[in-house]
Amino acid sequence: MRGVEKRLQEFQAVGVRPLAISVDPPAVSLELSKKAGYTFTILSDPDATVIRRYHLLHAGGGPDGRDIARPAEFLIDREKTVRWANFAEDVRVRARADEMLAAASQLH
Amino acid sequence: MWLALLLAVAALAANFAFFANPPLPAALPWLSLLLAIAALVVLVIGLRRALFHKQVYPSKVLSFVLGVLILMFAGASLFVFFHARAVPNSTAAPQVGQQVPDFTLADTSGQFVSLENLFASSPNQSSSPAPKALLLIFYRGYW
Repeated sequence: MRGVEKRLQEFQAVGVRPLAISVDPPAVSLELSKKAGYTFTILSDPDATVIRRYHLLHAGGGPDGRDIARPAEFLIDREKTVRWANFAEDVRVRARADEMLAAASQLH
Repeated sequence: MWLALLLAVAALAANFAFFANPPLPAALPWLSLLLAIAALVVLVIGLRRALFHKQVYPSKVLSFVLGVLILMFAGASLFVFFHARAVPNSTAAPQVGQQVPDFTLADTSGQFVSLENLFASSPNQSSSPAPKALLLIFYRGYW
């Protein structure tokens, strides 16, 4: 997400709006964006309702056995169709901003 | 034994290298796994030499301490490697070409927004056109 913030203008230039989603309540996400300097929208799914709907639940994956989202990224167009997706196999290895930008610039 | 310790420390270090923004992050876990296994192999060789050629390792205590350290470091690396990869494979998740389900969620100001709202405007820059695509980044959370 650091990489996305750094290249936010490049995403905007190709008409892509990045959004982050986690189970963190709004106050925690606010703290994160303040600390990390994130200016893109961060959404809260505290009950993991949407995460479940997207089949991205990592049951008990949180620090205290909390249900959290497994890392994943989707590029969706205005028809809500997935144009590009990535599912991290290692929680430390996420999609890189340049990969996502490359996918984003291929949209028309 | 010293070589094994070095390898084990390197394996552990590779796990922390993620914070340094490495050029090839995808290769790091494998590098760490390789180093940890190499450390264990060298440890076994070292132990055999210590057992059968006692003159090579005069100090049993030192050998023991080194052995324990190597096991700890290499073990921690292996644990992190498998723990980090223990993510569900989400085969039912939306794939390329499929439609994603709609949602309404609260942003950091507590305001609820839907996919439609998110497509309608660009944040911060009211002058810029509405986005033609959204990049949804699901993440584990901040703790």
